[in-house]
Amino acid sequence: MKRSILIQLSILLALILLTNLVDTKSRANYEEILGQAGGVKVDLTGDVKIFNSSPTHETPRKGGTLIKAESAEPENLNYYTSTSAAAKRFLDYIYESLINYDYTTWEYNRPVLAQHYEISEDKKTYTFHLHKNITWHDGKPLTSEDVLFSLKAIMNPYVDDAPLRAYYRNVVEARTPDKYTFIVRTSDTYFLNLEYMGGFAILPKHQWDPNGMMDRFDVQDLKDPQVFNNESDIKEWADQFNTNPLNRPAGMDAGKLIGSGPYKFHRWITGEYMMLVRNENYWNKEKPHISGFTEEPGYLDTIIVKSISDATAMLTALKAGDVDFLPRMRAIQYFEQTNTPDFLEKFQKVTFVVPAYSYVGWNNDKPYFQDKRVRQAMTMLIDRNAYNKYIGYDLGIPTIGPFYPFSPQYNDTIPRWPYDPDRAVELLDEAGWIDHDGDGIRDKDGVPFKFIFSVSAGSRGSKLLALMMKEDLQKIGIVVGIRQLEWSVYVENLRDRQFDCVMLLWIGGLQADPYQIWHSDNIGNRGSNYIGFRNAEADSLIIAARYEMNPVRRDSMYWRFQEILHEEQPYTFMFYQRDPGAYDRVFQDVKWIPIRPGYNNVSWWRRVSSGANVGMAP
Amino acid sequence: MKQQKKSRTYLDIVKRQFARNKLALYSLHVIYVLLFIFIFADFLANDKPLIMKYKGEYYAPVLREYGVEMFGMQWQDEFKTQQWKLLASKFEEGDWAVWPVVPFGPNDYDLKRKLMPPNSTHLCGTDELGRDVLSQLIHGSRVSLLVGFVAVAIYVTIGMILGALAGFYGGWVDVIIQRLIEVMITFPRMFLIITIVAVVQTQSIINIMIILGLTGWTGVARFTRGEFLKVKNEDYVTAAKALGFSDFRTIFRHVLPNTLTPVLVTATFGVAAAILIESGLSFLGFGAPPEQATWGSLLSSARDMLPSGWWLTTFPGLAIFITVTVYNLVGEGLRDALDPRLKQ
Repeated sequence: MKRSILIQLSILLALILLTNLVDTKSRANYEEILGQAGGVKVDLTGDVKIFNSSPTHETPRKGGTLIKAESAEPENLNYYTSTSAAAKRFLDYIYESLINYDYTTWEYNRPVLAQHYEISEDKKTYTFHLHKNITWHDGKPLTSEDVLFSLKAIMNPYVDDAPLRAYYRNVVEARTPDKYTFIVRTSDTYFLNLEYMGGFAILPKHQWDPNGMMDRFDVQDLKDPQVFNNESDIKEWADQFNTNPLNRPAGMDAGKLIGSGPYKFHRWITGEYMMLVRNENYWNKEKPHISGFTEEPGYLDTIIVKSISDATAMLTALKAGDVDFLPRMRAIQYFEQTNTPDFLEKFQKVTFVVPAYSYVGWNNDKPYFQDKRVRQAMTMLIDRNAYNKYIGYDLGIPTIGPFYPFSPQYNDTIPRWPYDPDRAVELLDEAGWIDHDGDGIRDKDGVPFKFIFSVSAGSRGSKLLALMMKEDLQKIGIVVGIRQLEWSVYVENLRDRQFDCVMLLWIGGLQADPYQIWHSDNIGNRGSNYIGFRNAEADSLIIAARYEMNPVRRDSMYWRFQEILHEEQPYTFMFYQRDPGAYDRVFQDVKWIPIRPGYNNVSWWRRVSSGANVGMAP
Repeated sequence: MKQQKKSRTYLDIVKRQFARNKLALYSLHVIYVLLFIFIFADFLANDKPLIMKYKGEYYAPVLREYGVEMFGMQWQDEFKTQQWKLLASKFEEGDWAVWPVVPFGPNDYDLKRKLMPPNSTHLCGTDELGRDVLSQLIHGSRVSLLVGFVAVAIYVTIGMILGALAGFYGGWVDVIIQRLIEVMITFPRMFLIITIVAVVQTQSIINIMIILGLTGWTGVARFTRGEFLKVKNEDYVTAAKALGFSDFRTIFRHVLPNTLTPVLVTATFGVAAAILIESGLSFLGFGAPPEQATWGSLLSSARDMLPSGWWLTTFPGLAIFITVTVYNLVGEGLRDALDPRLKQ
């Protein structure tokens, strides 16, 4: 027994010494490190709307494989019920929607399945005319019946898609006058109506409802408790949908998901990879496929998403050639471990903006964070720039509010709160948080200023920030405890509002509607305003902006809303995210876009390897 | 001549036997050093001066910290902000301070000094927040050794009592306790511990110590039971019974002391095993809370840095390696020394 321990330890020691041999050079100065990574910084400000990091004049070649590595594997592959971003990233190659983003203006109005569409005078009725030649991957035609079925699936109250369904509450009528026309009517003029009415993925009715169980219900029935409580079919179908084995088509003999998109689902081996193959019979051969972005609906024959949970293993796989593309590396890997000439010659490194921002959220209902002066003080106590520079390798883009910083919604006239501990201490004193009882901890009305910073177990950045805050705040008489929680527990606590302070990321779009996160309606009942932000003016601005169809007027409301947020500091807004990634230089026309996940592989093509690898092209 | 033949006690024999094993002897000295670090960690690595003269007054901030934490004393007003780093700049003439050997606290961060390789200021380098690794190692030794000792103390106590009862009474008591032991050892220990930690939720080393203690007693119980079976028919036990001593007194005063030696040997190995398990748990993120530096958590945060930052893995790895090895060597030496068949 003890001998085996000794042997194990000797092996451990040997391994440690071995790893030391790998990296014996001394470290460069940090400032130099930030400058010498040798990658491309994707910049989507100003007029640049698409960034090509491997431009070429060659004619794109069809064929080849792209293998990318992702750390998280989706729990299921149902477009509506899956909550994981990895599932959406994968399924977006399989399913299509009526309309999508225009890749030149970044407005949500490019017809895809719809040939064209009309919006009524009162902005409440949306008529979509479908292409007549659309076929599913199995050859069956896609018609307006499938569109209506998909909308009903989303609106079915028993389907596990509550966050998505919330955006379809305003649907009052949906019908299909003929096989290629789909009409949907809403009760209001919400400014994102087109995005939601035309933006949901269309699922094939013949795969998900072969017996037509949902046929006899219309959208009104799905909103009427009288009907959906009494009609057992609605619940029965939803249960089938939620538990359909096709939600996890894992394994060699699993059924195949059928979509209409440029790539077909091929296989999913749990814990290993998910695989897509090009749809040779794709219905949309129109050129250019996406204006300004790609001529063909995909050049690569296969796209494989490998699941590698460990970051070090991921980089090793890239170097070994087992993987072609890492969409998300660790910053330290990007800046410090991939600077060898060999690596830079074979791989292109890129940092690109993803529409997500990090923030520290203060539970506004806790005694210590009720006063806005305290929240302002907390913001001024966090040295955000040093955090970004030293922990984040200067990747973050400073932000003062919840909107995409390069969109007209973002109020760029508001200066950030500075890092100013002295002013912060003054504000704390003003707010009445003084050490009354002389125990070294600030208190007010008998409540000592002790709070818990909840950290999700996987999040390294928030753990480091918590450690920094604990040290810094202790010096001015505030005690910070750190609690590390598993993600599922973390989210539970968040929804139940059982926390003092959290650090998280919100992933958004180019156009955001602050209602879900900031309106006081969404406090409690497990709503997304879990920090409990209440402000009457903000509430009325949010509501008024939702139904304001004039973008200029709407944005001016959002600018005022951001001023309120800035003053109230319910969150300490940290940074818009920039992800570091790397791909094999064999890929051309690698384009980066401002919507998540930041790239779209349909534009990528693989050059036949040259030089030493002649004749070895896959 | 007669005086030289002075009879030697059992302890003397054991000591002499032990001293023959040079490796074990050196290991014992290493343990002494570890114990010294364990007790005086605050005086070895701290961002506060040990003793100083400031504006004409004498202060001992490290001692004061004990006062503040344990006895509800207060920091002097001028030190409330804990800005020890800035102290030197505020010194007037005649002021001085004696700093600890490692003048950094374990949680004392300085982003500008992040990830520095070992150098004259930071002997073991710094981590990604610019914290001194040596200071974290020194304070981490407390957690590791404390977990080792307390966990083993708990399970030796439980194991001895249960083993004694089983061995002394036999019969159905024995059957029940034996089945209990069998049930316990069918669970893989590491999984059992991880499961319990996951259920308990709050992270603290006390929980880890208790869990390790509650899951590790089976070996000790079996040993003690075996020894009891061997000893319980000896004459002195019969004598104790004949004198009408209570069972309690017979077990704990007369039999148990004679069965202690093998238990002590297992305990020594147990300390090493507990340190290893604690490191493993911290490595997996189940162990001590994030602000508490332990050897395992140091290794765990270093793992993400690989292959850069070799000093982050080497020094905690070495610390674990050396500690576990010396405990094993001492245990081995002790076992050999206690074994009468090896007596020379």
